[in-house]
Amino acid sequence: MVAELKYEISQNAYIKLVLQALKHKTTAVNGVLLGRVNPQNENVVEIIDAVPLFHSNLALLPPLEIALIMVEEHYGSQGLGIVGYFHANERFDDAELGIVAKNIGDHICRYFPQAALLLLDNKKLEALSKGKDQSPVMQLYIRDASKNWKLVGPDGGSRLVIKEPAANVVLLDFISSEKWEDVADFDDHLDDIKKDWLNPDLFK
Amino acid sequence: MVSKTEETQLNSLENQVDNGGGGVWEYLCLVRKLKVRRSEKVLKHGLSILNDPKKRSALGPEEWTLYEQVAIAAMDCQCLDVAKDCIKILQKKFPESKRVGRLEGMLLEAKGSWAEAEKAYSSLLEDNPLDQVIQKRRVAMAKAQGNISGAIEWLNKYLEIFMADHDAWRELAEIYVSLQMYKQAAFCYEELILSQPTAPLYHLAYADVLYTLGGLENLQTAKKYYASTIDLTGGKNTRALLGICLCTSAIAQLSKGRNKEDKESPELQSLAATALEKDYKQRASDKLGLLTSALRSLKI
Repeated sequence: MVAELKYEISQNAYIKLVLQALKHKTTAVNGVLLGRVNPQNENVVEIIDAVPLFHSNLALLPPLEIALIMVEEHYGSQGLGIVGYFHANERFDDAELGIVAKNIGDHICRYFPQAALLLLDNKKLEALSKGKDQSPVMQLYIRDASKNWKLVGPDGGSRLVIKEPAANVVLLDFISSEKWEDVADFDDHLDDIKKDWLNPDLFK
Repeated sequence: MVSKTEETQLNSLENQVDNGGGGVWEYLCLVRKLKVRRSEKVLKHGLSILNDPKKRSALGPEEWTLYEQVAIAAMDCQCLDVAKDCIKILQKKFPESKRVGRLEGMLLEAKGSWAEAEKAYSSLLEDNPLDQVIQKRRVAMAKAQGNISGAIEWLNKYLEIFMADHDAWRELAEIYVSLQMYKQAAFCYEELILSQPTAPLYHLAYADVLYTLGGLENLQTAKKYYASTIDLTGGKNTRALLGICLCTSAIAQLSKGRNKEDKESPELQSLAATALEKDYKQRASDKLGLLTSALRSLKI
């Protein structure tokens, strides 16, 4: 029996992406996931870090190409590769995985076939402060055998977990302190190269 | 469209206001003038004036403009009660006003009562069919409901009449890009460049779209527009400099095996690369290594 792949995302990667979405509430945003297959367990993909990419004109190639070159170069030297893609839609009630996300996901699958597509779940994010939910406020999409992106349903919801169980508590804390102001994405970097898309001081 | 100097000025004012250093009215006026969307700040600081009777009366007749500004910001932040209160006050002061009628329509939108909002706007348009703001609300409503093709239709109709509305052309271009309809987006940017040939933003966006479309001719044209962007920005635009490098690399790949006479001169690319490296060395030295290897990988 072929075991199903599990995706484990680190707290820092998770929070970074949600904060970027919160910083740009009125536009779509995206980012890439960095990680590797767990060396001790080939059924687990570890998403160790994330780089927030853009908050405008996500479907234009030149900034995306530059970003991917630089991101791969930086993380490659740490033994990590691009293992997935994150997307947050522009509108609150839009829970569809759009064409841009799918296309970028397809591109990433060429180099990492088990790539994960994470879509921000706006309703879940809104409800976060009301409950004690430890599960991520994201939906997981994986490509099936016919290369279509399929939502990993609520019953398979345990296939995406956050490594640190208290991550949502930390996230809520950051939200109340408006920490999103400190996140810099690749768009910010291209507008002002002093802004660091690695966000080294975000969690200090 | 906001220039870099304007944005810096706005951000420093915003900082000042946030830290209690005064200048609230100045900030609110600047936000109105530049037409930027800073609804949370506007709501917070606008209310601090409106809720203080002394500060309010110090505004004189500008008080009503502030009510309008705060109402819109409140709607953007889904604080509908605040918006309703502001609109009520404006209704009292200006009964039968079309401008207040627009705000009432927007409140219906914010509540999600699309059909009622459409009714309100239609009746306002009956008396004034050339009201640009209301016509654009129709586009916004379509977009908010996820009816993107409807938004495109309305926007195109709008632009047939108001073809000098740059913001509308830009909005249309960005919608087309989000749907990966690059040819149509290119057309929009062509219109913008024709009407504002010295605005670097449009040259850059056009170049990005052409590069994304691909093909030798588009890449060569894209390179020209990255170059004109560099020209118009005094060589300081990182995106345009990188664009030159991307184009040169892509053109070289497509031209492999073609007539050597068509070969492009490498000067432009090396000039761009040098400018980039110099800038990174000065302002982002920790990323210089990444830039250098990126440029190296593009010189195939």
